[in-house]
Amino acid sequence: MRVAELPLYWKVCLINGAVFAAGTLVLALAPLSVSEQVLASEAAVLAVGLTLMVATNAALLRRSLAPVDRVARQMQQTGLVDSGTRLEPPSSEPGDRLVAAFNQMLDRVEAERSTSNAKALAAQEAERHRIAQELHDEVGQTLTVVLLGLKQLESRAPDELVPDLVAAKETARDALDEVRRVARRLRPGVLEDLGLHSALAALATDFSAAGRAQLTRTFGRGLPPLSNEAELVVYRVAQEALTNVARHAEAHHVDLSLTRLGDRVVLEVTDDGRGCAHLEPGSGVLGMRERAVLVGGELSISSRPGQGTRVRLAVPCEPGLPDVPDVPDVPDAGGSRR
Amino acid sequence: MTTQPTRVMLVDDHTLVRRGVRLILEQEPDLEVVAEAGDGAEALALLRDPEVGPVDLVVLDIAMPRMTGLQAAREIARRQDPPRMLMLSMHDNEQYFFESLKAGASGYVLKSVADEDLVAACRAAMRGEAFVYPGAMSALVRDYLDRIRRGERVPGSVLTAREDEVLKLIAEGSSSKEIARALTISLKTVERHRANILAKLGMRDRTQLTRYAIRAGLIEP
Repeated sequence: MRVAELPLYWKVCLINGAVFAAGTLVLALAPLSVSEQVLASEAAVLAVGLTLMVATNAALLRRSLAPVDRVARQMQQTGLVDSGTRLEPPSSEPGDRLVAAFNQMLDRVEAERSTSNAKALAAQEAERHRIAQELHDEVGQTLTVVLLGLKQLESRAPDELVPDLVAAKETARDALDEVRRVARRLRPGVLEDLGLHSALAALATDFSAAGRAQLTRTFGRGLPPLSNEAELVVYRVAQEALTNVARHAEAHHVDLSLTRLGDRVVLEVTDDGRGCAHLEPGSGVLGMRERAVLVGGELSISSRPGQGTRVRLAVPCEPGLPDVPDVPDVPDAGGSRR
Repeated sequence: MTTQPTRVMLVDDHTLVRRGVRLILEQEPDLEVVAEAGDGAEALALLRDPEVGPVDLVVLDIAMPRMTGLQAAREIARRQDPPRMLMLSMHDNEQYFFESLKAGASGYVLKSVADEDLVAACRAAMRGEAFVYPGAMSALVRDYLDRIRRGERVPGSVLTAREDEVLKLIAEGSSSKEIARALTISLKTVERHRANILAKLGMRDRTQLTRYAIRAGLIEP
């Protein structure tokens, strides 16, 4: 075993032992003697020897132990907020082993945190999905039945009852609209039924309809396929980014684009709004980032006051899935034969 | 319109909804419900069944188990001499409307206004016209207004002052009913204005509408 790889305890022992041995050797070999009544000159020599020994010991121990202190200080400053930061290993032992161990632990903690976040988000999405489905399939259908029943009654009821029936019918209709709105907020059915393009197009239409800013969209053709999870992440990030634009940006124009870059699919939401120097913590940025991590994606946000904001998400595409074939043209009028 | 009533098939996985729709349609002398199916696959089987006889119009729910309404519509459209199709759906989203047109349906009726729109939509489908769902209408109109603002040439002749008013309200997302109330005209008149506006924009049947929507980027091809 090399000296450098010795455990810390043995290293300290070794250094101390070496220094004492050196002192003992000097005492044994040097032509010195100490009288019973220590003379001033002898005391001075002893003092010099002792100082020399202590200084040598201190210098040697410092070389070995100082990195440990430095690493301990760095550890205290390392937060879990910015994932991915790791300590720089110092050049010498035993600090670098400590740093390596600490970094390994950070890796484990982050992996753990990321899977537990993924589980929480997946559970949340699944739950939303279930509730939305039940609202649609149960409550929605029942209200539809009520609505149709009231309509049917209306044509057979005596005249004096018609206004009340109409009022009841309108209430049923309002309730149905509300159920639909809630279900839609909970879970974008369009993503599941019609795919990412349609879901983003629907987001864009909703955004334009709110009339806050003009929106231009660019969807690349022949984009590689994404897993369902990745599609949901892209959708949620686009949704959050557009919500932020509508709420804070005061933009005139927004670009929404989905393009291919190598083996990644890149979503960009760029606005020409007021931008900001510091991202507000409440603006869902953390949520976007965590979602991106779930599918191995990268999220970057650049924003400067007066120069708008750009949110960019790159997600790796699924290698196993085949490319999406281009959808054939619209069939001709009446004739749907191809 | 022929003297024979239109033979309608209802496809919805909720028996009670089918019953409600049947009651509404059978109040009309020109509509007759001849078959009901609980999902897309059953609908296809029934269409092949000689005992059911010819079907002129299929009313399909979008969300169904086994085979969704959109899948079923695509399958039905592949048949020789396919019947006309109408989608009946909970989803208030123009993407479903355009996707339905692409799948071969003539129109899209929201369940929350089925009591008012369904009969009109059935008749429009049988006339070979597209029944345009209000959300899609406002998306089309907003795009049209954007083009005018950018100075692009747009098809169609100039709209009347009344049609302009209706157009503006449609663009703001008002429903036919709200428009009728705002302009104090009847619902039927609003529907007529809507149909005229579509005709003047050169978008009357589903193919023209779908092409326009794809070109305008309202849906992806």
